[in-house]
Amino acid sequence: MTVSVANDMSIFSLVAGASLPVQLVLVVLIITSLFSWWYIFIKLATIKRAEANAEDFENAFWAGGDLNKLFEGLTAGRRKPQGMASIFEAGFKEYIRHKQQPRMEVSDVMEGARRAMRAAYNRELDDLDAHLPFLASVGSVSPYIGLFGTVWGIMNAFRGLSNVAQATLSQVAPGIAEALVATAIGLFAAIPAVIAYNRFASSVDRLSVRYESFMEEFTNILQRKS
Amino acid sequence: MIRAYEKEVSWQAGGLAIAVHLALLGALLISFNWKAAHPVMNVTEVELWDSLPNVQAPMPIPPSPLIEEQPKPEPVVKEEPKVEPKPEPMTKEEPKIDIALEKKQKELEQKKIADKLKKELALEQKKQLAALQAESLKDEKANNDKLLKEEAVKKIQQEALADDKAQSDQQILSAKAAANAGVLDEFRSKIQAKIRGNVNKALCGNGNPELKFDIALMPTGELSGVPKLTKSSGTVACDEAVERAIMASQPLPLPSDASLFSQFRNLKLRFRPND
Repeated sequence: MTVSVANDMSIFSLVAGASLPVQLVLVVLIITSLFSWWYIFIKLATIKRAEANAEDFENAFWAGGDLNKLFEGLTAGRRKPQGMASIFEAGFKEYIRHKQQPRMEVSDVMEGARRAMRAAYNRELDDLDAHLPFLASVGSVSPYIGLFGTVWGIMNAFRGLSNVAQATLSQVAPGIAEALVATAIGLFAAIPAVIAYNRFASSVDRLSVRYESFMEEFTNILQRKS
Repeated sequence: MIRAYEKEVSWQAGGLAIAVHLALLGALLISFNWKAAHPVMNVTEVELWDSLPNVQAPMPIPPSPLIEEQPKPEPVVKEEPKVEPKPEPMTKEEPKIDIALEKKQKELEQKKIADKLKKELALEQKKQLAALQAESLKDEKANNDKLLKEEAVKKIQQEALADDKAQSDQQILSAKAAANAGVLDEFRSKIQAKIRGNVNKALCGNGNPELKFDIALMPTGELSGVPKLTKSSGTVACDEAVERAIMASQPLPLPSDASLFSQFRNLKLRFRPND
């Protein structure tokens, strides 16, 4: 007796055969995964660029040139300065502005420059932190979404089994396989998101420490100048 | 969604993200053999029995260790009771020819007398020789059968087999076949009666439709697979009513003799719900 259990187990037929909630879960997970990878690549590029910019600016700053020249070079460029350069620009601009006004106390000038730098620093940090909460959410939630799809699919598979007198593995196997696709995609979305989140969080921390120490050093330099 | 300063890398990043997903899809398709082309499976059907066919095996075992000395007194006292049940077991001859014939009964009485003699002989032998335990076992069987008269059909057949052995080899085959045929008919009608009781006759109209179903049974009396309609009554509702009745009648009655099951594995049933 030949029994052909030739269930077409391709991934497409598995997904097409899944119940609606499972399909919805799959769609949500795939979109989430696409976005999280998109953000991962964006962050990879922007953080790399921020680190390179910080490196370049520190080299230029500590080269010992004239600060006015450095400032003019930054503002002359069409592009808005970013990262450490924008902090320097904000602080130096505020310092010059206060210096031009007569009868200003040194402490007031320094305080104004410091506030301007702090504001620029916060803006930069906000840009650096962008999308990280999304990656953290994807990393922690998408396994659960996948698990939900799997549980739902397996519930369906076993409910169908209850109508049959002779339960065979080939009756449940497709249902469980299609349900497990949801977990697989959930994990595929979650694992890179968690890794990327941890890596980017530490990169952002290191950059922010670098920015802060630059702010302190630049404040000292301005104080000496005034 | 994205910051202004991120726009210049967004297209690149989007392309990479899609590439990663395509790579995953490709890995899924390549690394798994999704088209699990099940090689044509050779299914060997195996029947599992929870007890051995109890024609010969169980019978000798219980009496021999337990009652080696008891049979000596008991059969002596129970010679008369033994004679009474005998006719009933012997009526197993009736299913052979379907109708009990009085002539046969006379013959049977003669046989009974012969049996009596035999048993007396056997008793003597038992007293004398332990080697003839086999004979005593048969008597034990007879005693057991007295007690279990309700399970007539099965026991009758076993009794028939046992006695026939003692009588002649030629009779064994014919008697067995005839008894089997009788049992077969009996259970076939039992199955039909059970199913008939579950049919909703109201669905079959006023006429006298006839349906035929092929069913396949498992040794437990449950259906393996779905009953196959081979002749429709003409009305779908009636067909379905009978099919439901078949499903509801599980487990169907089957003879407890395992060797007869092969006759019931595939049954063709005929129904006239309005008869």
